[in-house]
Amino acid sequence: MIEIKNITKTYKDTKALDTVNLKFNKGELIILQGASGSGKSTLLSLIAALHKPTEGEILVEDEPISKLTDKFAANYRLNNIGFIFQKYNLISNLTVRENILTPLIPQNLSATQVETRLQKVMQQFQIDHKENEEIQNLSGGEQQRVAIARAHINDPKIIIADEPTANLDLKLSTNFITILKELKSQNKTIIIATHDPLFFDLEFADKVIKMEHGKVIQCS
Amino acid sequence: MKNKINLYLIEYALKSIFRNKLKNSFIFFIFTLLIFFLSSVFFITNSIKTELNATVDSLPQITIQQLNGGRISNIESYKADNILAITGVQSVNARVWGYYYFANAGANFTIIGLDSFETQYKDLFTKLVQNHPIEDGMIIGEGVKNLIKDHYYDKYFNFIKNNGEIKKLDIIGVFNSELSFEANDIIVTTKENAYDILGIEEEKATDLVVSISNPEEIDTIKNKILTLFPDTRVITNNDLKVSYQNIFDYKSGIFLALFSIAIFTFFMIVFDKATGVTSNEKKEIGILKSLGWSIDDILKEKFYESFLLSFMAYLLGISLALFFVYILQAPLLKEIFMGYSNLKPEFVLPFTLDFQTLFLVFFLSVPVYVLSTIIPSWKIATLDAWEVIR
Repeated sequence: MIEIKNITKTYKDTKALDTVNLKFNKGELIILQGASGSGKSTLLSLIAALHKPTEGEILVEDEPISKLTDKFAANYRLNNIGFIFQKYNLISNLTVRENILTPLIPQNLSATQVETRLQKVMQQFQIDHKENEEIQNLSGGEQQRVAIARAHINDPKIIIADEPTANLDLKLSTNFITILKELKSQNKTIIIATHDPLFFDLEFADKVIKMEHGKVIQCS
Repeated sequence: MKNKINLYLIEYALKSIFRNKLKNSFIFFIFTLLIFFLSSVFFITNSIKTELNATVDSLPQITIQQLNGGRISNIESYKADNILAITGVQSVNARVWGYYYFANAGANFTIIGLDSFETQYKDLFTKLVQNHPIEDGMIIGEGVKNLIKDHYYDKYFNFIKNNGEIKKLDIIGVFNSELSFEANDIIVTTKENAYDILGIEEEKATDLVVSISNPEEIDTIKNKILTLFPDTRVITNNDLKVSYQNIFDYKSGIFLALFSIAIFTFFMIVFDKATGVTSNEKKEIGILKSLGWSIDDILKEKFYESFLLSFMAYLLGISLALFFVYILQAPLLKEIFMGYSNLKPEFVLPFTLDFQTLFLVFFLSVPVYVLSTIIPSWKIATLDAWEVIR
């Protein structure tokens, strides 16, 4: 599904990733562990085609994605990647509905298609009762569900989560893990970069990768 | 199936305008004000130019004035016969006209003495004379009528002659000329009445007007007249056109200063906008990119956003300018161009909708603003989205 071959990423004089080789299968849940600056986030950004590697190649379903132009990279993200960010990164002053719809806008789908997808994800993540509520009026848990629904609306094959529970209390973090389990049951490939010990002994995690100074030091 | 126009993108752009209410309201206000100001000036300019062109078209081909010691005085009427003998001259007419100062209103009226058989006046006056026999009184312009009515002259007017005597003339008609700029302050009466009110000797005239069969010969005939009567000033309608244009250009020059200020203000806003992408806007662009929007999609959204805002301001500015100029008659601004209007009766700016002007105002404003929004957004969109959102 995802093959990372000899990836090196250098920022000026700093090597953020140093000759990383990894392989993730479809439907796997992968935990990336490591301190700040270990290279987890850089790896996520390369898998999402938001950055280009300095050296090496990334294949997703046997297609190289590391040298895509902006338009193809955007298209790749649109069809394959769902993002869940640390601070949700929802767009303030937009409603729940409008935020979840955002990834669908460039696709210019018919109103029926949009509505069908929207209602499906809102019901799936139990946020449909807040459809027309503005984001700033929602609780942390509700915002989290909106962010996950938004990541899910394009039915992506890969879910990327960058420190998803960093600002959450235990209850919300546990809720998030339940949602992850559900997403995994739908055969999504999920890659999570985290410091949170809650993820370290996750029974349904397929791989736990420890990173340090841009290198993979352990893959179990 | 994909539609050609992405309505969701337009909807998003519209919402984006309302999400940044304060900033966009301020820009919308300034933008509307600028477009209103620019188009008002262009509308006034166009109206006055239309008036002036119409006026110049109705002027005689050649006008001859008597000079005595370098000053203009009344001309002997017999000179008309000598000029008529010049080859190419079609007709020569002695005109009797002058200004009458109505002290109570502080305004000058132009009195024209007319014989119904004379041809030097354009069709307008000929029609007037046919419709209203002026032997018994006078026909007055709309402006004169309104002005003297304020002083209780409804049916007649008492002129004070040079010798202090009063001459009463009945108002027998009012003309609401299309050429209101020219005809608004005019009083048309018989030559006898005009001689009497203006105090001109009977064997003299104010000036002579000459019509020529072939307009190409105007300058040649002008020279022949000057050879025949070197003590005269011979003015062609082309000279007058230039003179009118000079007066107008002078007044336009005053406006140029105001115009520069408006443009300066506009570019200040544009500069501010171009350099002032807020951190929220940066973050939003980063989020959109991570969600699968391409740079093209982001720029399209920014285009719709800036176009909607500036085009709405354009429409509102133009509408306000039309209302201000043609309904309210451009109070204050009109006086900049019509510096002497306090001595002339009021005149109405004729409605002239010039599409070139509308396009000019559009291209001076909307594309400039759209570009000033798109360029910084493009800069942000090409930056590292990952860093922006983290």
